[in-house]
Amino acid sequence: MENYMELKLPAESKNEAFARNVIAAFCVELNPTVDEIDDVKTVVSEAVTNCIVHAYGYKGGEIKLRASIEGKTLHIEVEDNGVGIKDIAKARQPFFTSKPDEERSGMGFTIMESFMDELEVVTNASGGVTVKMNKNFSNE
Amino acid sequence: MIESKLVGTTLYIGLSGELDESSAVYIRSKMDALFSAGGMKKVVVEMSELTFMDSTGIGVLLGRYKKLKAMGIPVYIANPSGSIDKVLSLSGIYGIMPKVDFREA
Repeated sequence: MENYMELKLPAESKNEAFARNVIAAFCVELNPTVDEIDDVKTVVSEAVTNCIVHAYGYKGGEIKLRASIEGKTLHIEVEDNGVGIKDIAKARQPFFTSKPDEERSGMGFTIMESFMDELEVVTNASGGVTVKMNKNFSNE
Repeated sequence: MIESKLVGTTLYIGLSGELDESSAVYIRSKMDALFSAGGMKKVVVEMSELTFMDSTGIGVLLGRYKKLKAMGIPVYIANPSGSIDKVLSLSGIYGIMPKVDFREA
């Protein structure tokens, strides 16, 4: 592992912008294109929003954001200690939302899957969820 | 964050900054207030100054689309930046809110 970082932050919506700017800064050494930076910022925003809205139901909690770089690959993990996801396969389907009354698009996982090269959603021993994502960068 | 202008019967809504969970409530209520004020037969959401949007923004747009549809008013999206265009395309939103090229005179 050539570089890594770990961040703990409260599950508050003001931290979405903070988390995505942290990841943008972290991946600078990969010489990312503008599109690659935008992709990574968007997926971190999706994962962190999921923690705030779904895992903790707006009541707050702690989110862990971890990232590492190996070669040209960026690994990202977003971990919560919230209520968990009952049916992960269903949650990952486009347009599925557990909160249909709240104008949620249900596109979060679809965007993460589409903007990254790999996506894994894991239930932790504590009952919370960790989203693990990898992206291979193009630049030299 | 949000500006608006009624030109004839077209309501132009200019979004700027970042549209995510933290700004969604504000943008939603501002847009709904504009719709309640009325006077428009068409709505164009202009995005050239919007620098970030995630799927929370899609939810906000879909909610506004439903309100306008009930009023019989079509809504269009203009000038999204690259990453926002990708999010919008992936969500299939252009099927109901077509993308138009609009430049202010």
